[in-house]
Amino acid sequence: MAASTPASSAAADLVARIARGDRQAFERFYDSHASLAFGLIRRVLRDRESAEEVLQEVFWQVWQDAAGFDPARGTPEAWLIMRAKTRAIDKLRSMRRRGQTFVAPLDERVARGPETRGDDPALAAEDRSLAQGALEQLPGPQRQAIELAFYGGLTQAEIAARLGEPLGTVKTRMRLGLERLRALFKADEA
Amino acid sequence: MTPDELSELAAGYALGALEGDARARFEALVRARDAEALRALRQYEESLARLAAEHPETPPASVKAALLARIAATPRGAASMPDGAISMTRPRPRRSVWTVVLAGALAAGIAAIAVGLTVSARYERRLEALGQEAAELRTQVQREQSLLAILRDPATQMVALSGQATSPEARARMLWHEKAGGLLVAAGLPPAPAGKAYQLWAIAGTRPPVSAGVFAVDAQGAASLRVPPLAGVARVDVFAVTLEPAGGRPAPSGPMVLVGKS
Repeated sequence: MAASTPASSAAADLVARIARGDRQAFERFYDSHASLAFGLIRRVLRDRESAEEVLQEVFWQVWQDAAGFDPARGTPEAWLIMRAKTRAIDKLRSMRRRGQTFVAPLDERVARGPETRGDDPALAAEDRSLAQGALEQLPGPQRQAIELAFYGGLTQAEIAARLGEPLGTVKTRMRLGLERLRALFKADEA
Repeated sequence: MTPDELSELAAGYALGALEGDARARFEALVRARDAEALRALRQYEESLARLAAEHPETPPASVKAALLARIAATPRGAASMPDGAISMTRPRPRRSVWTVVLAGALAAGIAAIAVGLTVSARYERRLEALGQEAAELRTQVQREQSLLAILRDPATQMVALSGQATSPEARARMLWHEKAGGLLVAAGLPPAPAGKAYQLWAIAGTRPPVSAGVFAVDAQGAASLRVPPLAGVARVDVFAVTLEPAGGRPAPSGPMVLVGKS
């Protein structure tokens, strides 16, 4: 079963009410969860205006598709974050296709990878601000694979090409990285 | 597929990093409600949600205002439906450009009043709302045109569904075309209880029921559901609606609410 914290089950009740057209429930869900979604969207899309647009689309989908939320399949937080991720990455990819992004929006600190960051204390400080928390506790290559996909919107094949690694290696790193994250969060709860 | 391969697909999918065949393979597992695939996906998604929660960022108030305006300007019947559904209670005439403009202006007007934004911000919002409304209406017109095409085709089946013991007042009609999909319109249904949703089933001959989608009911007890063509389903003998846990089930498990034979 999904980890059901009291906060998550309160949120699940809100989503059930949204499915019945309860606008107050929608407002409460937005107030309590918009910053969660916006934090992720902003990491994917540096452009503030695009991020706001995506946030609005994500919550519009929440309003329209709340009946499709199934508490047995996960928490409302995960449901929301997966929608935010998909929309943000779609937007990022379409901006890249149209060449709307000047600089590669992919964070260059992420793209360089952990091995090449060297001992520059300024870069090291940036690194900390980039990924404080659970990701930082992952082995570098696993963390990099997760960041390039989740925040950089790159596919497994693109990551493999970028890093000059076999596709299988990238797949394994993603799996191991996510399993390690899960263990970290679990230990956190205990 | 080994457990590791399955986990790798789930990890790539949760990260949004799968494409092509790999993505199609995993999506097929999810659609088939493969227990292992769903379990792995759920775990990875929860971890990523926890990761995202480490870096929250407060959005500007204008996003909420625009959303509330959009909701206020959209009839509930349309908004309560899953994507692909249209409202039954108000059959909409084909809209002209001017209707589109009017609807957008209304949405923008509500937004401005609701939050008392500055004049310049109001015009920005208004433009934004106009653009969104226009896009929505375009989508809607396309949907309605595809429905008209179904109605005109003599091969289309029309099935009347009647309410069962739990809701004898309920009535519905189902239009079905094997290539184009169909449309369910229902009335007189009570709202689904918390955590539940109505699910439509298509039954052909003696084969097990195939899910045709999940839907909610508006305040007037009306609902509609646009059904895409269903893989492997041609002529349908029976359409039925059951009450299921939210999100639906792979096979009917709850009480039958509506049923009709073609």
